[in-house]
Amino acid sequence: MDDKELFERYRETGDLALRNEIVEKYLYIAAVLAKKFVGRGVEYDDLYQVASLALMKGVERFDPSKGLRFSTFITPTITGEIKNYFRDHSRMVHLPRKVSELRLAVRRAEEEFLSEEGRKPTVRELAAKIGAAEEEIVRAAEAGNMVSLDKPAEDEEMSLYDVLPTEDDAFEQIERKDAVSSALRSLDKTERALVGFRFGEELSQTETAKRMGVSQMYVSRMERKVLSKLKENLKNSMAD
Amino acid sequence: MMEELLTLNVLLKNELMTTVRLATGGVCSLAGLSLDGSEDCKVCVTESLLLLMHGGYPSACVRFCTDGGLSVEVTGEGVRRSLREYAEDEISVALLNALTEGVNLQKEGGCLRTIGFRFGNGR
Repeated sequence: MDDKELFERYRETGDLALRNEIVEKYLYIAAVLAKKFVGRGVEYDDLYQVASLALMKGVERFDPSKGLRFSTFITPTITGEIKNYFRDHSRMVHLPRKVSELRLAVRRAEEEFLSEEGRKPTVRELAAKIGAAEEEIVRAAEAGNMVSLDKPAEDEEMSLYDVLPTEDDAFEQIERKDAVSSALRSLDKTERALVGFRFGEELSQTETAKRMGVSQMYVSRMERKVLSKLKENLKNSMAD
Repeated sequence: MMEELLTLNVLLKNELMTTVRLATGGVCSLAGLSLDGSEDCKVCVTESLLLLMHGGYPSACVRFCTDGGLSVEVTGEGVRRSLREYAEDEISVALLNALTEGVNLQKEGGCLRTIGFRFGNGR
């Protein structure tokens, strides 16, 4: 029986012996891919287990009638699961539950979309699939990005590690609070309200727009303007 | 604007892969990639070199350019020694596609010669 036939028979019958035959035949892909990710702080055995489970899940989802080869289909699926495992098990800073759940939903939707359409979805397509706002999707994605401490600091010759403060001393806090208060005073009433909603109450742009009775686009534009104004003011106060 | 960061000319030997991976890590850091992005980039560079090694090339040129993200181009150099089919090559190509934004494979005489891919600065 060739591969296509094997998968078709399994989809028709759900026969576990056929599934096991497929899994055993392709288990080498799980081993090969697990080896590629060794050295990132997770043992090979764990990676192999994650990859094998992903392979089993992939066997359930694979549709041979779509014309894709199984190895081409399963590689991104296994890779995705391994990367999820890294994210979930090597994260030093825990994300809020809501953000973690949304990230999980985004990853699942991405995989489903990839297997259905053969390409990665756009943010808009993901938002439509999950039923969340585009902005929330982008925020959830951004929350997963870690930055190396060896990365050079912006406009600096030093690394981020070099410029990060060792201790958050009280004097620094007072100075910072003073600088922020002074920068906020330069904003008008509407701009200050926006800062309060967005960064005080941590509302989304859409929620902020509702509270202010304006469009989300307006909030987005105003936020950019306000942030750049604040940045400029803070820069000037630091120079003084 | 595309700015060239580093070009490596490397013999395709297993024992040099760690050196290339280390250099790649440094370049990723310069280009502002995240830790995940850097690790993925290292895997992609290694896979590209393995593909060219399997294609019989004795050496390769790895070119890193920054353009708001990081673009990498790996090209086989020298006279190809032999041609062997490796089952893992198909997985390597699928892995490249899974890890990067867009893989560009260029063939010469029916064989893979150049592999290009890019990582955005959000990675």
